[in-house]
Amino acid sequence: MSDLLQLLFSGLAQGSIYGLVAIGFVAVFSVREIVNLAQGEYSALAGLSAISAVAAGVPLLLAILLVVPLVIGVSVIIERVCIEPVRRMTPLVSIILTLGVSTALKAAMLLIWGPQARGLPPFPGRDLVVAGISVRSQELWIIGIAVLVAVVVIWAYEHTLLGKAMRACAEQPVAARLVGISPRMATMIAFGIAGLVGAVAGVIGSPIYFSSWDYGLGLGLKGFVAATLGGLISLRVALFGGVVLGILENLVAGYIDSGYRDAVAFLVLLLVLLIRPQGLMLKASGARV
Amino acid sequence: MRSEGILRFYLPFALFAVILVVFPLVASINLVNIGVYALIYALAAIGLSLLMGLAGQVSLGQAAFFAVGAYTHAILVTKYAVPGVLAALAAVLAAMLVALLVGLPLLRLRGHFLALATLGLGIIVTVVARELEITGGTSGIFGVPKPVINGRTYDTPSEFFWLLSPVILIALLLARNLVRSRTGRALGAVNDSEVAAECLGVNTFALRLRVFVLAAGYAGLAGVFYAYWLAVVSPEAAGFELSVSLLLMVILGGLGTVWGAITGSVIVQGLDEGMRALIPKIIPGATGEVQLLGFGIVLVLLIILLPGGLAQLWGMAKSHLHDRLAARRSAAEMAEPDQSAGVDDKVGPEPGAPAAAGSKPSLDGVLDHALIPERGSTVLRIRGLTKRYGGVVAVDDVDLDAQAGEILALIGPNGAGKTTCFNMITGVLVPTAGTIEIRGTRVEGRRPHIIAQLGATRTFQNLQTFASTTVLGNVAVARHLRSRAGLVRGMLSLARREERDIEHGARAAVAAMGLQDDADRPVKDLSFGRQRQVEVARALAMSPMLLLLDEPMAGLSGPERDELSALLRQTREAGITVVLVEHDVDAVMALADRVAVLDDGQLIAVGPPEEVRQDEAVIAAYLGTDDDAEDVLRQAAEEVRG
Amino acid sequence: MPKVRIKLLTIAVTGALLLALGSCAESSTPTDEEGGGSTEGPIAVGAVLDITGAGASLGVPERKTVEMLAKQINDSGGINGRQINLIIEDNQSTEDAAARAASKLLQTDKVSLLLGASRTGPSLAMRPIAEQAKIPMISFAANEKIVHDSTWVFKTAQNDNVVIEKIIDDMQKKGYKTIAIARDASGFGEGVAETFTELGKDAGIKVVAVEKFAPDASDFTAQMVNIRNADADANVIWGIPPAASLAQVAYRRLDIKAPVYQSHGIGNQVFLDSAGKSADGLLAPLGRLLVVDQLPADDPQRDVISGFVSDYKKAYNESPSTFAGHSFDGFTIGMNALKEAGTDPTKLREAIEGVKDWPGVSGVFTMTPENHSGLTKDALVMVTVQDGKWKLVPGQGE
Repeated sequence: MSDLLQLLFSGLAQGSIYGLVAIGFVAVFSVREIVNLAQGEYSALAGLSAISAVAAGVPLLLAILLVVPLVIGVSVIIERVCIEPVRRMTPLVSIILTLGVSTALKAAMLLIWGPQARGLPPFPGRDLVVAGISVRSQELWIIGIAVLVAVVVIWAYEHTLLGKAMRACAEQPVAARLVGISPRMATMIAFGIAGLVGAVAGVIGSPIYFSSWDYGLGLGLKGFVAATLGGLISLRVALFGGVVLGILENLVAGYIDSGYRDAVAFLVLLLVLLIRPQGLMLKASGARV
Repeated sequence: MRSEGILRFYLPFALFAVILVVFPLVASINLVNIGVYALIYALAAIGLSLLMGLAGQVSLGQAAFFAVGAYTHAILVTKYAVPGVLAALAAVLAAMLVALLVGLPLLRLRGHFLALATLGLGIIVTVVARELEITGGTSGIFGVPKPVINGRTYDTPSEFFWLLSPVILIALLLARNLVRSRTGRALGAVNDSEVAAECLGVNTFALRLRVFVLAAGYAGLAGVFYAYWLAVVSPEAAGFELSVSLLLMVILGGLGTVWGAITGSVIVQGLDEGMRALIPKIIPGATGEVQLLGFGIVLVLLIILLPGGLAQLWGMAKSHLHDRLAARRSAAEMAEPDQSAGVDDKVGPEPGAPAAAGSKPSLDGVLDHALIPERGSTVLRIRGLTKRYGGVVAVDDVDLDAQAGEILALIGPNGAGKTTCFNMITGVLVPTAGTIEIRGTRVEGRRPHIIAQLGATRTFQNLQTFASTTVLGNVAVARHLRSRAGLVRGMLSLARREERDIEHGARAAVAAMGLQDDADRPVKDLSFGRQRQVEVARALAMSPMLLLLDEPMAGLSGPERDELSALLRQTREAGITVVLVEHDVDAVMALADRVAVLDDGQLIAVGPPEEVRQDEAVIAAYLGTDDDAEDVLRQAAEEVRG
Repeated sequence: MPKVRIKLLTIAVTGALLLALGSCAESSTPTDEEGGGSTEGPIAVGAVLDITGAGASLGVPERKTVEMLAKQINDSGGINGRQINLIIEDNQSTEDAAARAASKLLQTDKVSLLLGASRTGPSLAMRPIAEQAKIPMISFAANEKIVHDSTWVFKTAQNDNVVIEKIIDDMQKKGYKTIAIARDASGFGEGVAETFTELGKDAGIKVVAVEKFAPDASDFTAQMVNIRNADADANVIWGIPPAASLAQVAYRRLDIKAPVYQSHGIGNQVFLDSAGKSADGLLAPLGRLLVVDQLPADDPQRDVISGFVSDYKKAYNESPSTFAGHSFDGFTIGMNALKEAGTDPTKLREAIEGVKDWPGVSGVFTMTPENHSGLTKDALVMVTVQDGKWKLVPGQGE
């Protein structure tokens, strides 16, 4: 029993990270129908930048506060430079484009930080053992911060005018424009949000999952899988999907074979896409977000 | 024209063959080594180019099939001592088989989802290869012996290059043939407008699946040579990086252009080696896959600046050169006009096709009279047809019949459900309730290509021409059902005669529509109205017995409308049923035998034009529809706010 | 299309073409017709190392070592007056890149001697290529399969078998009966569980659970939970850093009480740094390099090791790892053989097979035509970690 709890708990922490990344995918996709394959890179970039800042003597908290806006900036610049100029954004174009961005970002990180994986120092706190399961304080930080950021983002989408207009952009561009949000603006904001959640995921995960130049691909793909659970439309389901995926991975690793851990996400992806491409937990025409 | 075409077709192959033979003789061994990899990857890239360019499917998992081929070959050769050629064959088949099994479910997905599903597939193959005993775990399978043919071992780069050369030439030739074949044409059409292609009888799913499998075969073959050359197959062979670089090769060369795949492959390999050598010099201490930087940047630049890849550049250069030559020639030939027409205008009507503009349009050679039902028999029978979206009823319990040899017009205010009806009749939409029979066969809910097979086709309100090809190319697609050459015959170029027939039929349809002067122009260069005419010509070329036209008059000039009306009357005389949706009420009343009026999803009147014109309900419907667009917008904005 | 775009386009395309062209020029220059059996000019020596990827913590110090040694040799006049042209290729810790690099070195650079790779998988991938080209290759990796029945391939790291024997000896002494193993899922860990089972039979030791982890895994909770459940007398973690250190951390975090053995894959500072306090108390059979200052004065390897350590520290301002030691041994054995026999492949191979009682960093080597790895379990000492430092377990090493 304590094993199961242990695996569940580890999965919960890992899954919170996936959930955040998934929110980034949904934020961009719901506005511009782009699957941003560079999403995972934001996390790697944030983690590595924070590590460098800490190594340079910047206090951990300050480093994080510096890194998050930096990554948001990078994400917005990517949108301005690479996404905005493209006029005919077909799925093919968007995938190749963001794949190119992702590849270039990865290589740039390799050049700057080298190939080694590194971790941020853990956030303050003591590891504990509760009911026979080992709880790392960092895992508590991860779950806490991830849920907080996710809830704020989701709340903003659901309850502010800006958020609603953003959601309207994809379906009713004219209506969105009437309340003062142009699709261009919305796309930029969406990329900003993608940068935000990506950066937070990268920074809080770094102490235990480490950061490296090629960390983003796997993370991004898993985030994407989580996002598809919500049909790439629902933020709530994306977050939830991330958590489910994290737990599922850990259960497979624990009870079946850890070698298949990385295949879990993609089996889930294939199943979801084949059974219910519109998202596992959405009603066919049900509420969005 | 034909002999010139053949020369132009084969000349590049001959040139390329010469290059392949000479290259190892003159290049350094290091370059030949790079060349070997370029050729191997080019094989996989050709397949991917067909898949992406022709079928419009993004695959991020081409490496998966590459790996399946490589592993199958390596396992058969090293563990079961199967002879090389046999193992290679088995490997290619294995890759294709996996593609078939995977493609059956996967290809129902579209766009982003398909791309990412293929990506997932690549990762699953990597994981499986790493975990299975038979694939040698993480270290993979090593010690694949170099190929020995007739006692000769192909183990130096030059020899292996020469061994690969004929393979790549044949692979190219086959792919090139495919692009020009009936299947290639249909695929191009699917890529441009899936719905239009389906309504002309193209079974898009089956086609996609075939190309997917074919592309996997190419990748599998590349995998075989990879296993031979590297002597090692490890899980990295299915890796994402390889899929990315294959993608880059294809994009760089130009999607769907077979030559582009080769060019792209050579450049990417060169770029790869160049970046590896160069970047550590610029940035000391840089190690690892730094060439990715170049890949990424090139991909982004390409998509933004040159989405058509080098093929687009080549096209631009060619047309530039062409313009210049033409300018010079016309300057030189000012004195003797009418001589310079040679290059472009050679493509006049072929013998057998009806004569040129001016003469009365004729449908001979277009329609197949054997397919046309007896005049007066019921062709289309609709009962209780209903379409609901959530709470909104778009089409409400409509009953309607159409007889062979009549023109039935469907009119009604905006949003009355006319196009929705068309969509349900042609299989584009699935009705919520009700039945549709075409000559006694129930078709509601069937796919459009099935309905097309029964002899019903349509045009579209919002243009659905195949933008990537010419007028003639558009119309030729409609002969799809009237020809049968499949993938294999297309690749082997065994359907010459059928191709000629297709061209004749297409030209006849083009001429019938009075479009013969534009036959070889890209359709997207034509005006809106002309493109509508192309759609009508295309629909006629299918030799339908039921023709559904969605606002065919829109955008046409007065004389053009008259011409179209004349043509439609002729079509009716031939015994074909024409159902048309039209806004121009006067034109409809003049043309139609019967008029059906839809309002708010309901059929409010059916009958001869003069009767319907007097119908009170119809008048009311037409008067009460001053939809205020601003109201709608305001409502939408309120919805967002609230 | 606006003018700016065309301009940008031209620049981009020209740039790409130049780069591609540059690469051709670049890669065609170093191709001398040297190598093979020629007797003049520089001697081409190729090294394929895991410089990036999962094996980077091994490959990087190995590269530093061979670069340092090649420079030393060239500065002091080369081998019999011939300079060493050392060409290093990165295999990115993958098998296919290793095979690719090896082919390139043998075919286009015509190296007389092939070194590497750092880990088992890539070394296995290179082996048939070297065999086919009939050029001697010296791997720095551990698995016995690399040299099994090989004519042309040698290696300098202690065989896995030898390491496992050493561990089993220690376990037998302490009376453990059951063990659980968490092993690297790549080439380094392949076959380890089987070898433990086989060698353990005679000692009455049984393998009760085997877990695997990817070399680039970051979360080990699942595996360690299963190890904890196996409730064995002792446990073995078989991997290289960073995975080995993360596994060690997870082991301690899940509070597994049984003693833990690690493999010889952890012999570097990277392991100690990343495992931190969790490393204290583990046991591992390692080369003498890490505990050279604790060795008795009469140890035959002491002088070689001290010399190497001080050179390395001077050059790179850090301590060498045991992997650096493997590459020192491989490179030096190769150079000695080149000095003795020249570049004729067969003579070179025979010279390497003739190495006898040669004290290297990893142990005292004796190669024969049948034994291409040259070390016994005496090359290893049991080492533990105390306060983040390697400590020789007393009562051995003589």
